[in-house]
Amino acid sequence: MQTDAHIRKVGGRLSREDQRRLGDILQRVYDDVVRQGVPDRFKDLLNELDDHDGEDEPSKAHGDPERDDRRDHLVKAFPHNKGSS
Amino acid sequence: MTMRSSVRDAMLAAVPSLRAFAISLCGNVDRADDLVQETLLRAMANIDSFQPGTNMSAWLFTILRNLFRSEYRKRRREVEDTDGSYAETLKSHPEQHSRVEFEEFRVALGKLPQDQREALILVGASGFSYEEAAAICECAVGTIKSRVNRARTRLAELLSIDGTDDFGPDQSTRAILSAGGQS
Repeated sequence: MQTDAHIRKVGGRLSREDQRRLGDILQRVYDDVVRQGVPDRFKDLLNELDDHDGEDEPSKAHGDPERDDRRDHLVKAFPHNKGSS
Repeated sequence: MTMRSSVRDAMLAAVPSLRAFAISLCGNVDRADDLVQETLLRAMANIDSFQPGTNMSAWLFTILRNLFRSEYRKRRREVEDTDGSYAETLKSHPEQHSRVEFEEFRVALGKLPQDQREALILVGASGFSYEEAAAICECAVGTIKSRVNRARTRLAELLSIDGTDDFGPDQSTRAILSAGGQS
């Protein structure tokens, strides 16, 4: 009962406790979506991109310097992402 | 192949939080998922512009925010129409604390100005620092801080409105607020 009046501030700043309460609710609402994980739709999408880049262009798979450069760049860009959760 | 997998893994790892951010922004799960999909496509197409050593998640958030804002300008009206579809996502998650809590909080969140809402979510839920949030929103750190403060104040006001208007029974609001204090 006291919560309602307690949290209301007319033109003032919220107390730390009120901020924490709001923060807790926000975090729970947000985390509830996060816990749903990755929908198949996005797994499929990213796997598809993988396939396209890796296999669907056999003519470019060899001897395309531009492509090799790009790969090098990617390797350098993500040295520590391997196995990250 | 390995680096393809690394890029993909980093993006996959960011997806759950990206979705939560997108849903918070547009209040509509289907649109949010479309936004996430577009973000991933855009990111893959522009992977060369990703700065090595920086935060992949922050980069994706920036892309998603920009996409949302350009789309928002085009479809301003539709954005307000958020009813119903959030319940869809809740159905798929039976363990939630209280559907009422989510619904009422979401409605209140939806009433915040967009700038304040995104700042609050980035800092208060996504776990970004004020500096990272400022980079994502392309504004000053002080601006983010003030938006977050205003968002909190406004949210508290909205949630403590007497339950005659859009918010349903007063008890629900109290339940939200007291639930927040017990954990």
